[in-house]
Amino acid sequence: MSESLVILDPTDERAPLGRRPASRPDRLHGTLGIIDIAKPRGDIFCDEIERLLHDRFPQLDVIRLQKPTYTKPAPGDLRDEVGERCQAVIQALAD
Amino acid sequence: MSDFPIAGADAPAFALRDRNGTPLAFGDGESSAPATLLFFFKHDCATCDLTAPLVERLHGALAAEGLRVVGVSQDAPAQTTGFVDRHELSFAVALDTALEVSAEYGFDAVPALVLAGDPRQVLFSFEGFVKRDLLELTRLAAQACGAATPEIVRDEDQLPEHQPGCGSKVHDPDVARRLAVRRGAATLGARRVRIPIDDDPFEFMAAQGLDDGLPVVPPTEERVLRMLQGTMRPASAVVAHIPPNLAPATVEKIAVNAVMAGCRPEYLPVVIAATEAACTDAFNLHGVLATTYFATPVIVVNGPIRHEIGLNCGGNLFGQGFRANATIGRALQLLVRNVGGGRPGGVDMSTLGQPGKFTCCVGENEEESGWEPLHVERGFGRNTSTVTLFAGEAPRAIRDQLSRTARSLGASVGLCLEAMAHPKLHRMGEVLLVVSPEHARTFARDGYSKTDLRARIQEVTARPLRELLPDDECQKGMALSAIPRELLGSDGRPTPDALDTPLAKFKRDEDILIIVGGGTAGKFSAVLGGWASGTTGSIAVTREIRNERSSSA
Repeated sequence: MSESLVILDPTDERAPLGRRPASRPDRLHGTLGIIDIAKPRGDIFCDEIERLLHDRFPQLDVIRLQKPTYTKPAPGDLRDEVGERCQAVIQALAD
Repeated sequence: MSDFPIAGADAPAFALRDRNGTPLAFGDGESSAPATLLFFFKHDCATCDLTAPLVERLHGALAAEGLRVVGVSQDAPAQTTGFVDRHELSFAVALDTALEVSAEYGFDAVPALVLAGDPRQVLFSFEGFVKRDLLELTRLAAQACGAATPEIVRDEDQLPEHQPGCGSKVHDPDVARRLAVRRGAATLGARRVRIPIDDDPFEFMAAQGLDDGLPVVPPTEERVLRMLQGTMRPASAVVAHIPPNLAPATVEKIAVNAVMAGCRPEYLPVVIAATEAACTDAFNLHGVLATTYFATPVIVVNGPIRHEIGLNCGGNLFGQGFRANATIGRALQLLVRNVGGGRPGGVDMSTLGQPGKFTCCVGENEEESGWEPLHVERGFGRNTSTVTLFAGEAPRAIRDQLSRTARSLGASVGLCLEAMAHPKLHRMGEVLLVVSPEHARTFARDGYSKTDLRARIQEVTARPLRELLPDDECQKGMALSAIPRELLGSDGRPTPDALDTPLAKFKRDEDILIIVGGGTAGKFSAVLGGWASGTTGSIAVTREIRNERSSSA
């Protein structure tokens, strides 16, 4: 083997998870969650989205969800609730 | 201290090669000799020259009785050949050019002689030349072989009773360091990355995305081991889990990134404490990293360690030219990048960033302050060393060369602080005020406490609520959620009477963090604005820097 300089890996050495977003739904059905990330005036934006969804997809069951704060990742309980209850989610923010 | 094995101990087994490359082992179970004599030597040692003919005589006398003699040379083949030829040695000689066997045997001087019985129990050993010891070794060798004790010392030899040996090559400075690296490297768990010798290591590391835009020091095993001398903590100990990936930061990973940042080993405890503080729920490093705002970890160091490691607390406090300041802050940023996985354009979404995102670490100039230093205010002893992590913006100027009273200067400070983030944003959270020594003296002269200064800031920044609300002239202003509930009516809007209520810039006086810092000339202080504060944002965190340096550092 040719000569080389050996260094120590400064990273966490975890192979990239390669996690990809779920495929986009081809139609809206069941329960759709609207997550407000808790930025100011996010509620106004989310209200408008909810109104549009009711008008255009009256068969859809729309629920509202909210992160406690936009500064931190969504808590596990909220992520679980999304996974258990929703077929699709819209996450929205305003400022 | 010598670890040379004495009678009764086990002589370490080894597998070396002779000058022809033929394997030459001891203690592998292959030899059936009732006793083995190991003779460690180096070619340029007069005491080895004195001893070698006697060992050869012993070999000549007892080889037929079963004694196995193995010379172990600390030299390269050519020098070893010179020694062997000079003394016409007929026993096998192994090369310990790498000195690993010599190091394991632990003697300080050559010649070193070890007589081992079957299988490897030491019967006798000594260093240098001691005639009495050589005679005793001869007696025991013969006894182990079931033979009569030969006469190997003759009157005409005119041997001294005692002659000190020469230093084992293991103790040559370069060798000692290399051996320590080889031994220590086995304890390091990080994945090894090989950079072909034809590649520029700086370019290689940049291409791998391991740097912050400036070149980093390649973290070789030797450098990382030297860095680890800065702490008594085991390399494998997990200090924290670093956002955004919440990856475990071991002491070793922190040391690797500290090397890359350019730290000296004595800085390592500061980097470790800063990592601990940054990774608390209160500090919320994930949010500090992810925000589109300017915030970055600002490290304030207090206590004796400032002087021990040469951390700048004086002139050009936030500027260049001070290794401890420059590299401690950088090490934390590299940890976030490399271990935590937080990078600009990824989780780091800062719109404009700021220079402090390369590094930001300062010491409080406690000696120029008439006040209790920050860490004492926060519950630590004056002689305790601490880091305080604050999620801050870049410093901006507070200029006042005219005020001669603390009250006037306090007003200037307050008026400058009012612009933090936006003049119409009041009831803000934490802020870091850096008072220069000249300004500190003005406050001290009038007996102005930190409490007085905080009160003065709140007094001069207080504005009627009506001036702070969004209006057509300026649509920015206080959010309704930031207005005290008692000022809001049933419709959630401010009541008419409430519009005249003055609101100070900061929600709580104690959120104005104050340190003294900078050079002794210049009537300029500085303010570092905060980020979203409180439990929904980031709260400043102070941690003790434990005095944990290794005694061998």
